Amino acid sequence: MPETPGTLKTPYPKEQMHRIAYTKLSEQQISDKLSKVGGPSSASPLADVFAGKSVKIVTDKGPTLAYTFRKNNSLSVGENGGSTVDAGYGALTLSNVAFFSHMIPGTQRGYAVAIDQNTSLATVFELWFSGYEDKREVQREIYYGYVDQPGQEPPKNRHVATNRLEGKGFYWKQDTGAETLEFYPSAAYSNFVELSRFGGELGFCGPSDYIKINEDLYVYTRTECEFSGTFTAYAMDLNRIEQIGVRLGFDANDALEYYVFRGKGEWLGQLAQFEKFGDESGMPVPAAAEGQTPAKGARRVYRPLKTMAKMTPAQVDAVCAKHTSAFAPRAISPGANAPTASMAGNLGPSTNWLAGKSFTLRYDHAPAMEYRFDDAENLQWRKEGRDWTKARYQAFESSPGVILFGHLLEGEPNHDGHCIVADFHQGLMTCFNGYLNTPYFANEAGVKIHFGVIDMEELIPPKYRRHEFTYDMIGRAVSQNYAPGLTSMHLYTTPHSLSWIIFTNSDAGGLEWSGPAAYVKIRDGLYFMYWLEEACNGTLGTILVNLHTMRDVGIGYNCGENGLNMNALGAHERLAGQFDIRRFYQVKSAGGIV
Amino acid sequence: MSKESKSTRRSFLKNGAVLAAPLVAATPATVLADDGLRTRLARLEDEAAIRELHQNWLRHINSGSRDAEERLFANPNAAEFEEGIRSVALDHSGEPDAIELTSDGKSARGCFHCALEIETAIPQDCTLAQMAHAQGGGFVRRAERRILRAQYVRSDGVWSIAKIGFGNA
Repeated sequence: MPETPGTLKTPYPKEQMHRIAYTKLSEQQISDKLSKVGGPSSASPLADVFAGKSVKIVTDKGPTLAYTFRKNNSLSVGENGGSTVDAGYGALTLSNVAFFSHMIPGTQRGYAVAIDQNTSLATVFELWFSGYEDKREVQREIYYGYVDQPGQEPPKNRHVATNRLEGKGFYWKQDTGAETLEFYPSAAYSNFVELSRFGGELGFCGPSDYIKINEDLYVYTRTECEFSGTFTAYAMDLNRIEQIGVRLGFDANDALEYYVFRGKGEWLGQLAQFEKFGDESGMPVPAAAEGQTPAKGARRVYRPLKTMAKMTPAQVDAVCAKHTSAFAPRAISPGANAPTASMAGNLGPSTNWLAGKSFTLRYDHAPAMEYRFDDAENLQWRKEGRDWTKARYQAFESSPGVILFGHLLEGEPNHDGHCIVADFHQGLMTCFNGYLNTPYFANEAGVKIHFGVIDMEELIPPKYRRHEFTYDMIGRAVSQNYAPGLTSMHLYTTPHSLSWIIFTNSDAGGLEWSGPAAYVKIRDGLYFMYWLEEACNGTLGTILVNLHTMRDVGIGYNCGENGLNMNALGAHERLAGQFDIRRFYQVKSAGGIV
Repeated sequence: MSKESKSTRRSFLKNGAVLAAPLVAATPATVLADDGLRTRLARLEDEAAIRELHQNWLRHINSGSRDAEERLFANPNAAEFEEGIRSVALDHSGEPDAIELTSDGKSARGCFHCALEIETAIPQDCTLAQMAHAQGGGFVRRAERRILRAQYVRSDGVWSIAKIGFGNA
C-alpha cells in the first residue's frame, strides 16, 4: 500500500480514448496555443546534421521549400520562392534518414520532412489544423520530391506509397517513455495500443500512410481521427527496429504535444497479406469517390461515432416496442446495422438438436434460466420461479456437442438478449448477456458474461471446472469471408479488445476499427468471443470460432432507429498470422518481480 | 441474327458476282451493276455508321460517361438499362456481330455477343458493409455472357440508338 494517502495511481485513464469528450477547440484557441511554442521539443539530443546548411527541397506536386538551418534548432524557410520566415525546428537522424519538423510561425501550418541522405530523395508532409470540422484534427498532405543539388540532374526516383509494411507489428518505446504496440494490418489504417499512456486495455485505430524509402527504411503516419486528432509520423529502420519521428496535436487536456522523438522497439511478427503477388501498391483506399478529384489532404476516414444513431432510454423503449425481431428473414427484419443477410452468406445450417429438450442453465452469479425447446425455432424460458415466456431462437452445432443458440428476453427492462454456448459433452455453458440502456448511448449494447453449468436429466456437470477467459487468441489475426464481396479480418489486439479490417477490392487491408472484446475458451481450438461496437453502431457481435473447421458462427444483437434485432452470422475463415504480444498484458509487480 | 450475319456474307459474294458481270455481259448489266453498287455502298456506309455508333456507346459505357452515352440515343430517356453493368466487352467466343437494316434504310437492329461485368451493391445492413461502402467498395462483381440487342433509327441522315437491352446468351 502507498505510504501516504492520495498516492494511489493506476496506469488507466479516467475514460478510455473513445469515451473522452475531446474539446472542440476553436481556430483562435489553436492559434493561441501554437503561438506559445517555437519548435518541437525533444527528449533526445537534436541532430546538427543540417546546422549551418542551406537545403532546397523540390516536390513534384507541392511546394518548393528553401531552408537555411542556422543551428540545430532554428531555421528560416521560404515557400515557393516567397519571403522567408524564422522558425524553431528539431531534427533527428536514423541510418541515412534525416527527419525534421517545424511550424510556420503565425499560421496553423507546419512541415515534417524525411530525407534520405544517400539518394537525396525527400518526403514532405504538410501539416495543418482547422482543416476539418473538428479543428483540432491534424490534416496532412504528402509530397514526394528531392533535395536540389545545384548542377546536378534531379533524381528520377521517388519515395513511394507502399503496402510493404502491411502485416507488420512492433513494440515501440520512445525516448519520452511512451510505450506502444503498433500494428499495421491494413495498408490504409493502423492499430495502436497505448501501453503506458492508457494502460494497454484497448487497441484503437487511425488512418495511416505507409511510405517506402528503401527495402529497410519506411515512413509511417497515423492521425487519431475521432479521438484527439493527434498526428504521429516516424521513419523506421526495420532491421534495427528504431524510429525517429514527430508527434503533433492536443492531448485530452488540450495541451499542445509537439515533439520529435527517437525510439527503439521489438518486431512482433508478420501477418499474411492477401493482395496478388507482385502488388506492392500503397494507399489502396482512394482519397475521393470515383470520378472526383481529391481535395488537398483528402483521405477516407471512418467516422462511426458521427454517423451512429444516439438514442435515449425512452427512444430505445419506443423502437423496441415498435419493432423487435429475432432471426427473422431479412425481408421482415429491416434493422439497420444488425448483422443480417450480408453477414449470413456463409452461415452454416442451424440444428434442431435442442427441439423437444428441457434443461436449466445454472449461472454462477446470475439467476438460473429454465428452458423448454418447443421445436427448432421456438423456445420458452423463465428465470427460476417466474412465468414462462416464448421466444424465437436459432441454434448451431459448431463442434459435436457444442451448441450456440440465442434469443431475446421479452419483458426485460433492458431488452436483454442471450447468446449462449452450451457444451453438452462437458455440461458447461457461457452466456454473453447483451443489454441496452447503457450509460453513453441507450441503444449501445453492453454485455455481461455468465459462466455456469447445464442442469439436465442424465447430464452430470463439473463442480469446479468452468469455461475460462483465455489469452490463446491474443495476437492472432483471422480473416472472415461472410459473403461474396464482404471479407474482413479480426486482429485480436489485447485481452479486452479486437479490431476489424475491411478488405478492398484488391484484397488490401482498408478501413479498420476496434472495440472492447473478450475471449472464452470452450475447447481446444474452439473459442467464444464477443466485441462491442462502442461509439460505433452499438452492436454486440458474438462468434464461436472453430479453428479446426475454420468456420465461425455467431449472433449479432443491435438496437438502432429501426428497432431491436438479433440475427445469425457466419463466415469462412483463414488464419492470417500472429503477433507475439501476450507477454505485454501480464500484470507485473511494481517491485520488479514479474 | 446469326443467320443474317451469314447471309450478309453470302450477299457480299452475290454482289461480288454481280460486280464481275460486266466482264461477260452487255450494257444493261452495267446499269444493274451500278444500282447494285450504290445500294451495296449505302448499306455498307449504314453498317459502318452503326458500328461506329456502337463503338462510341461501348466507349462511353466502359468509361462511365453516362451523359455522353445518353446523347447517342434518339430519346435520352431511353438510355436506361439494367442497373449495375460496369463494362461491356466483345465476347470473342460468341457468334459474330450482326446488323440488319430494314429495307427502307430508316432503322436497323443489332445483335452483339458480349461479356458483361455486372456490379451488385451489398446492402449496408451491418457495420462491415457500411465500412466497405465507405472505402469505395461494398459491391460484388461478376462476369456474364449476354446478347446485346439494339434498335437504331436514322433521322436526318444520322443514326442514333432507339433502344438497347441485354438478353441471355
